[in-house]
Amino acid sequence: MSFEPKILGIACNWCTYTGADLAGTTRLKYPQNLRLIRVMCSSRINPSFIIRGFQLGADGVLVGGCHPGDCHYGTGNLYARRKLAITRKILEFAGMEPGRFRVEWISASEGKKFSEVVGEFTEQVQTLGPQTKFKITKDGQ
Amino acid sequence: MTAFKKIEDNLRMEAKNLLESGKVTLVLAYGGGFDEKHPVPYVAKAAADADHLVFNEYCTYNMARYLTRYPKGTKIAVAVKGADSRAVVQLIQEGKLRRDDLVILGIPATGMKNQKTGEVIDARTTASTINPVIFDVLLGDEVHGVKAGSPYDVLAELEGMDKDARWAFWKKEFERCIRCYACRKACPMCYCDPCFMDMSRPRWADKSPTDDGTLMYHLTRFYHLAGRCIDCGECSRACPVDIPLYLFHKKVAKECEEMFGQAAGMNIEDKPAMANFKGEDSDQMLG
Repeated sequence: MSFEPKILGIACNWCTYTGADLAGTTRLKYPQNLRLIRVMCSSRINPSFIIRGFQLGADGVLVGGCHPGDCHYGTGNLYARRKLAITRKILEFAGMEPGRFRVEWISASEGKKFSEVVGEFTEQVQTLGPQTKFKITKDGQ
Repeated sequence: MTAFKKIEDNLRMEAKNLLESGKVTLVLAYGGGFDEKHPVPYVAKAAADADHLVFNEYCTYNMARYLTRYPKGTKIAVAVKGADSRAVVQLIQEGKLRRDDLVILGIPATGMKNQKTGEVIDARTTASTINPVIFDVLLGDEVHGVKAGSPYDVLAELEGMDKDARWAFWKKEFERCIRCYACRKACPMCYCDPCFMDMSRPRWADKSPTDDGTLMYHLTRFYHLAGRCIDCGECSRACPVDIPLYLFHKKVAKECEEMFGQAAGMNIEDKPAMANFKGEDSDQMLG
């Protein structure tokens, strides 16, 4: 049986989560590997969430937000972009595979893009294999 | 060394004058320890204390660390070396200090040495700033003509490594961490009360020194210091098990400088990089 990765998705309420909703209502299919968490804004995402996600066994983390300029709160995603960019560099320098972390801007009307991104990302993480570096094992790390 | 002696004399004189005239209530500088190699951070509160001040090549401590411990409005004179002065600028940027409350005694110093190893630290940390970027009084002569190369040269080895080798490197380093939080105590930028590690709700990370809690602590701390670390290297020197934390901080500082076009603590007018955004930011940084 092929490896089925666990993907943690963190999506902003106004765009990406609504986009996921649209993907559902238009009956688009995307892999079931995604566990989606809704936050009110992509700038709500504390980088510790991402590290914790990896520690608790996520093989990949996908972050979704509104397109820059389209933030429900005006500028939230512009701060988030800086935060997530530096988070990516930190994960990379610590030795995590860069392919396990992805940020994507998906608007509320892009249900199709949502299902495509999840499909692509799942495939990508599948080829990388299980994430073992940050994951906590039972007998300590 | 005569340069150090001169700075020490000037430091004592300035401290005495400032305390006597009542311009400041405290002078944060260095005092004599049990021997010359081990000076201690020292707070002079009266003119008579000024005679206890010392300055030599082992005075590596970043005295900007102690500024945030006093209530706002306390008039403080602080002795700062190159990198330490950037910490002062960064703290002013973040609204933790008021420029008017400070008398900054700048120390241009080269050839500072690590107390534990005796190694000259200039090339490893603080390389980019020898002369203070902000000061009211300069205690020695400005140093010119010393070009130590890019401060980021020491990263070349780690950056060249394969990601698995780099993970193995950091895992091995972090395994030694005993979670004494000396790095946090030594850091001028770690002033949060409570620190995320001391919170129990939410409990961000394991409080006993388990590997996963240690990883969470260090990675989050690197992130918290993104665009704020001024590369004084005190975290690594304070570390009892010699984890080279400065390398990771330096890498994050380098990326911040490249992506956001601003180094921490260089200009009092700047906004902290992570509390700001610019129109020219692009999605390439996420790539």
